[in-house]
Amino acid sequence: MPITILAPRPSRPIRADPEDNVSSASDTDSEAGGVELDGDLPMTTRPSKRARLTTSTASDIVTPGELITDDPQWMRGHGTYVTPATTAIISSVAGTITRTNKLLSVRPLRARYTPEVGDLVVGRIVEVQAKRWRVDVGSTQLASLPLSAINLPGGILRKRTETDELQIRTFFAEGDLLVAEVQQLFADGGAVLHTRSLKYGKLRNGVFVAVSGTGGGGGVVRSRRQVWTMDAANGGGQIDVVLGVNGYVWISKHVETAEADGNSKAAGITNMEENVSTTMYSSQNDRIEVETMREIARLRGVVTALVENGLRVDEDMVMRGYHEAVEMAMVSAGGPDDIYLGGEMGQQLAAALKGT
Amino acid sequence: MASSQHVLLSPAELAYLHASLSLAPPIRPDGRSPTQFRPLVAETGILPGTNGSARICFADGTEAIVGVKAEVERTAQRSGDETVFLEEGGAGGDDDDEEEEAGQGLEKRKGDASWVEMTVEIPGLRDDDSGTAFLAAMLSEALLADGGFTKRLWINRRFHWKLYLDIILISPPLSYPLPLLSLTTHLALLSTRLPRLKSEGDEDPFFDDDWAAAPYLFPRTSSTNIATAKSTTPAAAIRPPITLLVMAVGNNIIFDPSKEELAVADVALAVSVTGSSPSHYAATGTGEEAGRNLRLLSIRTVDPPSRLTPPGLANAANTAYGPSNGTMGTQKMAEARAAETEAAEGVWRPPRGGAKRMVLGALVQKVLERGGVVDEVLDALEGVDSG
Repeated sequence: MPITILAPRPSRPIRADPEDNVSSASDTDSEAGGVELDGDLPMTTRPSKRARLTTSTASDIVTPGELITDDPQWMRGHGTYVTPATTAIISSVAGTITRTNKLLSVRPLRARYTPEVGDLVVGRIVEVQAKRWRVDVGSTQLASLPLSAINLPGGILRKRTETDELQIRTFFAEGDLLVAEVQQLFADGGAVLHTRSLKYGKLRNGVFVAVSGTGGGGGVVRSRRQVWTMDAANGGGQIDVVLGVNGYVWISKHVETAEADGNSKAAGITNMEENVSTTMYSSQNDRIEVETMREIARLRGVVTALVENGLRVDEDMVMRGYHEAVEMAMVSAGGPDDIYLGGEMGQQLAAALKGT
Repeated sequence: MASSQHVLLSPAELAYLHASLSLAPPIRPDGRSPTQFRPLVAETGILPGTNGSARICFADGTEAIVGVKAEVERTAQRSGDETVFLEEGGAGGDDDDEEEEAGQGLEKRKGDASWVEMTVEIPGLRDDDSGTAFLAAMLSEALLADGGFTKRLWINRRFHWKLYLDIILISPPLSYPLPLLSLTTHLALLSTRLPRLKSEGDEDPFFDDDWAAAPYLFPRTSSTNIATAKSTTPAAAIRPPITLLVMAVGNNIIFDPSKEELAVADVALAVSVTGSSPSHYAATGTGEEAGRNLRLLSIRTVDPPSRLTPPGLANAANTAYGPSNGTMGTQKMAEARAAETEAAEGVWRPPRGGAKRMVLGALVQKVLERGGVVDEVLDALEGVDSG
């Protein structure tokens, strides 16, 4: 069947969690959300209370510039602003209202990634400058990766010279993908990255998939482990998965490098530097078996299916989704080699994951 | 013409994609089979103010809307034509033509390419951008190629319908939007209805104001029986054209490529075809085999972005590879120039040179296959409820 055409689904009502929703019908503070404060009267009794907060409107979505309330008892949180000399709280993003005690904030429906120090991100070089690279990490601004924040091949520790500046493209060129960590933040939200670890560096032997930013329920969430190696089914060997916090995902064949031997020899920090993987800046793929490629494509399908169905993407979900997908393929018409997970197959997968 | 804005992919990614798509059977990054399209959501008749409209949405969020508006326009008289006294109005000037009108058939009808106006809008691109202009040209070329379409817009010798097709891509172009826009246009045209003509001959046109009686621009053959299909002229059973994007990597032919796949294509073609609907060949008795008669309307080569991608660097030529330091750099630089000409496994090399004639032939053959992909696509599109 080369084409599947689906009828449009009725639009999904986007609703905030009922417990922390300001405009929930009863609108008393004693509802599940927030901390119950003694003596806090139900707001409906207050005359100054705005009608739109008390009535349950058809949609809980506010748009940028929309007045949420002008009651002075509320404090403004993320996604809102107060115009000078008034008490009106106005939404600055399109999203759902959330309330924590007396703090009003708007959770955006869809937002770009906001970097935080220590985040593991996958990025793509978009610009090469004299002493640094500009990296697309899905944020509002390009992150920068200074020449001084990378490991030199062979782990040599020295000052970066003009020779290095001239050869900057031999390390990373435009379009290269890399995994890095956010080292520092500027006041305007711009991030500075570093790759000074054996875990970080240029990516190869795999496929890239960008899932949407935060919001809408889906997407990569910060979790304990963003990078792991897993055993693939159907003789696929070992596969590495890197879930960048910024929603960029890298799935590749696991390659044993000298780094593993180095770790077994000595754990000293200087030793580790010496044993920096010599393959760090390679852009040549290793030989990848057909089975591995198939399983990589299956994993990519799992990640896209999770996102399309509004599920979070983390190690647990991806692993469960993958096993589910392998089992679905077993019983499907195409046999275990059937890796297609789009459309109805993806919905089936998501339903199975939600059910368990 | 460049198929889309420059895609930024690393040489390692390109090498991986190319390797997986060259396998037999190819492994596509989204797991589709080579002839499979992305699943899409489609509906028609969404814009109340238009004669026909459609919306198609891909799962990745790319979405297009097409609206078709028709307007009665006075046909410009060329000096060579028989004079029609426009000033007199009514039937006054038409007395001498009446006997001709009695036998008025499609042969008498004339069409002009200027009766169709198509605009394509893609967010983030200027409307005089070469990419947008090329898309519009490609889509209208498919529509006007055989001249049959504009004949449907003929009302009488003095008036015709002027059709405005507004094609709008709502989302940013995540992949080369040609297939999406073409499928949406096809659906919109299928759902297009023009008011029923009440006047006769070369009178000023006068229409039935009952919208329910308005006939489809492309009559639905499923509702009519064979007998009426026989009575209609063969041209009436033709479906609107569709333009498909087909690409080849190695020996594999891949339909509806995504952006990443297009980035490693050896050849990419935009092939416009039209098919006559099933009952037509059932009536004429030509359809012994399954599938419909497909007619090739036009072929355009699309310059795949793969040609502009940077080549990968083999480890042997990489100064940053291995335990070397700066001193070895210059020596490796010299090697790099030599190494660029030879292929190494796992290193991306952009395709050079033109498309092979055999590959082009195979691509077109695959598209025109009876009962093949195009057939199923047309069937599926016809099945979309026009409400």
